[in-house]
Amino acid sequence: MAKSKKLVYLSLLVAGGVALHMVESMIPVPFPVPGAKLGLANIISLLAIVLYGTREGLQVNILRCLIGSLLGGSMSSLIYSLSGAVSSTLVMGIAVKYFENVFSLVGVSILGSITHNFAQVTVASVILSTFGLYSYLPFLMLVGLFTGVFTGLAANFVKDKLSVSLSLMETVDRRR
Amino acid sequence: MLTKGDKILIATVILLAFAIFTGFQIYGFTGGKTYAVIEINGKEYQKIALGEDGPKLQLKLPGAIGEVVLEIDRDRVRVVSSDCPDKDCIRQGWVSRPGQTLVCLPNRVVVKIENDKSTGDLDGVSF
Repeated sequence: MAKSKKLVYLSLLVAGGVALHMVESMIPVPFPVPGAKLGLANIISLLAIVLYGTREGLQVNILRCLIGSLLGGSMSSLIYSLSGAVSSTLVMGIAVKYFENVFSLVGVSILGSITHNFAQVTVASVILSTFGLYSYLPFLMLVGLFTGVFTGLAANFVKDKLSVSLSLMETVDRRR
Repeated sequence: MLTKGDKILIATVILLAFAIFTGFQIYGFTGGKTYAVIEINGKEYQKIALGEDGPKLQLKLPGAIGEVVLEIDRDRVRVVSSDCPDKDCIRQGWVSRPGQTLVCLPNRVVVKIENDKSTGDLDGVSF
């Protein structure tokens, strides 16, 4: 029972991530830097990591990327988002697990977005075979800092609400 | 809400961003040597290394219908004068970045800027 329950919650997280992914692609980018985006779906991966763990975060994030790219994207966008998602989830998972008392969710989210940027620039420079693309990294880092703070705050608020309702559901279950 | 670690992280990221930025400003983007490759009638005529220590000279090229005078100013090239009817090659002005070209069609003269390290010939990338 507990297993299928977890499956349902993870699926809900994936669905939420895909929804955010789609919504985000409809929002015009508020930055003058091409390639920068809000990273709203990062809220979901952060939640999956905090609520369940790194492995579950990876599952949710990879599924989110696959479905999101199928719904609105291309093969190349899948490569970029998958590489960024996997590396940032790993880094965020490590940060949550081992540096919990050093960083709040905001810090973890910043780490994730910077890793995401770095992975994407690396993949892009391998694909285009020019390392000059790294000159673009500082701008992405500063934007990633800003969006990382934003998504971290959002994840923090959602986590408080969600863990309350999750624990409520557990007690309801136990009473039955 | 922000912990001490968060603040240190934010400061580190900002510093790192500026460090990478200034690093690229100082040491340049590609490295490698840039060349001006001159082609006349489809055949390579001359290859000139450009850069900070590049030559400062004027070059007279034998075009198909007349003479083309090229000016090379260290890291950039332009057409000064040409015996062609429309003078489009002169209007292209200075070129210096890899991938840029100067073309005088009536004279069959093409000057390409090339770099031995970066391909630099991507016109656009979509993702």
